Amino acid sequence: MTTTASIWTLHFHSSSFPIPILSSEVRFRRYLEFACNCKNCTSRSTLRKFIVRAVSSDDDKRLRDEVIVNNSSKDNAAKTQQNPVAMFQESISSLPLLVFKTGKYSGVSFTVGLCIVATLLIIVVKGYAARKSRHNRPGSVADLVRRGQLRSDRRGISTPLKYEDPFNNPMVKVSKSNSSVEMCGKVYRLAPVTLTEEEQSVHQKRRSRAYQWKRPTMFLKEGESVPPDVDPDTVRWIPANHPFATTSSDIDEDLAQNNVYQKHGVPFRIQAEHEALQRKLEALQNEQKLNKLVIDPAAARDFERPLKSHLKSGDQVEQSTSNPKSSPNPPKSDRAHNSCEQTNL
Amino acid sequence: MISLQPLANLKPASLYFHRFSSKPRTKFKPITIHSLLQYNRKPQLAGDTPRVVVITSGKGGVGKTTTTANIGLSLARLGFSVVAIDADVGLRNLDLLLGLENRVNYTVVEVLNGDCRLDQALVRDKRWSNFELLCISKPRSKLPLGFGGKALIWLVEALKAREEGAPDFIIIDCPAGIDAGFITAITPANEAVLVTTPDITSLRDADRVTGLLECDGIRDIKMIVNRVRTDMIKGEDMMSVLDVQEMLGLPLLGVIPEDTEVIRSTNRGHPLVLNKPPAIAGLAFEQAAWRLVEQDSMKAVMMEEEPKKRGFFSFFGG
Ligand SMILES: Nc1ncnc2c1ncn2[C@@H]1O[C@H](COP(=O)(O)OP(=O)(O)O)[C@@H](O)[C@H]1O
Ligand SMILES: [Mg+2]
Repeated sequence: MTTTASIWTLHFHSSSFPIPILSSEVRFRRYLEFACNCKNCTSRSTLRKFIVRAVSSDDDKRLRDEVIVNNSSKDNAAKTQQNPVAMFQESISSLPLLVFKTGKYSGVSFTVGLCIVATLLIIVVKGYAARKSRHNRPGSVADLVRRGQLRSDRRGISTPLKYEDPFNNPMVKVSKSNSSVEMCGKVYRLAPVTLTEEEQSVHQKRRSRAYQWKRPTMFLKEGESVPPDVDPDTVRWIPANHPFATTSSDIDEDLAQNNVYQKHGVPFRIQAEHEALQRKLEALQNEQKLNKLVIDPAAARDFERPLKSHLKSGDQVEQSTSNPKSSPNPPKSDRAHNSCEQTNL
Repeated sequence: MISLQPLANLKPASLYFHRFSSKPRTKFKPITIHSLLQYNRKPQLAGDTPRVVVITSGKGGVGKTTTTANIGLSLARLGFSVVAIDADVGLRNLDLLLGLENRVNYTVVEVLNGDCRLDQALVRDKRWSNFELLCISKPRSKLPLGFGGKALIWLVEALKAREEGAPDFIIIDCPAGIDAGFITAITPANEAVLVTTPDITSLRDADRVTGLLECDGIRDIKMIVNRVRTDMIKGEDMMSVLDVQEMLGLPLLGVIPEDTEVIRSTNRGHPLVLNKPPAIAGLAFEQAAWRLVEQDSMKAVMMEEEPKKRGFFSFFGG
């Protein structure tokens, strides 16, 4: 039934209006379900019977009206129009006329035709508007494109909104009796929370019995032996090929801690690299003085890495040179900086 | 095998499932509800700052990262300074949710190695400048576990000693599981937010994780029940929030409805709580943040939707 109806609507749209309104049709069909009585639907019979059902958007109390229209080619013009709903149904009920009588359309009421056109226009415009709004709705895939996570440049780009005032939220309304709350236009029933302190501590006791746990303080690779002064319960074994974690570290703990606490100046590793670079430069200069050679390719390759990291952290070095008071050892970093500039030239 | 059953006869039958479909637990009586938010004032910050909160769950994919992003930005919007730490070592995606993925150049691993200073690794959000993000590691680098937990404690200390003052909140997005990453993430925390969904697998993990947190001395644990569908609760196809509470015995920080806007906001890199008009899940996150500030818990929960009428002609008007 539904499938035939959809086929019918499709046919109807494409035959009468050559406008691409497929997306509007989906909306359209949500509200109006055309049911075509198929036995009588053979296109040559003059007496056709259409059941038009208008379904309101209200989820709960669906207003269902089934109007059976006896379409005997003359009688449909004179219909009493008591209310807008009836008028709407009326206009819909007359839709089939347009389809089946396109050939011999002659004298049927012009106003009915106008009505049809108006209705269709509204539907088309609404569908178009809906599609348009879907296009620049925030949070669509278009945003992934904008952020470079998805590749497709044909998609639209939307601007993010800011929600300004956190202290005035009209979206939450609590009923007077505190028994329900309205959020985003939906009303929810409220139920009081009954958890007591007692119940909470009962659960805590249950858990402390069920899960006895000592925080692991020692992380060891599988195969390593447990140091003598360590409680084996607090050892966590990490597989050697663990994808995210390693038990070893090439930097010792105190140094790492100092690195975290460092507030100003050149970070430790950068500093060390600058110094190494500087030593190499000096060595190179001496060498050049001695035998006036151009830079030998092996040494040049050695410079590449420190230089790159220097470029990345250029602002840090500038920072440290601009306020030498806070820098732990300004002359060194200054020198490093200068020597780097030399190489850049 | 550890299960969720209660101690022998302390509270018989309190955890069994049949209850939630058999007994009408909430006979509805008009009761005064206090927890409703007063939106016309700033929430009162309770407790000592910085408040170090770990957001954890046990099970993956229940919404820890979503919660961290939304609560973090909510707190920033309410005027508190926030540092969010993405401690999800291997599967970091807090930066994506916040839309800050292109600005993460340095992580804690680089700080530890001395490749950069801590202030260079903090990424300041442009929308709310009192919100900063700190990632633990880049996807391809490995965190040295030898001092993973200690490193987080150093970080908290360093943040306390900052020139611009200690942040009000340090929020840690914990990885799933109870592995080394979990142990690392909970190390500096004094309080925890447990995220769970109303299904039995997630609840069992949540109970376990709560047990571990309690063993570790974190006593202030509140829960957020995420992805709640009031329509399914009404049809008794889903545990209600009160059922969840009965099983875990934890105070409620928030109840977040299932909301398609969550996915859209992830696509945008624009957390839900910044939406205008706000989505329903965003409002719920905002309220949870509010309670977190005041160390409050929920006194009433939303149960089911009461239909609201809409006119026939909303089709034309809307
Ligand atoms: N309230 C919600 N409604 C709908 N989807 C949600 C909700 N909360 C989380 N999700 C979705 O669940 C998925 C996992 O969330 P995430 O925060 O990454 O979980 P975790 O960090 O715990 O692994 C995400 O795709 C997110 O969009
Ligand atoms: Mg996550």
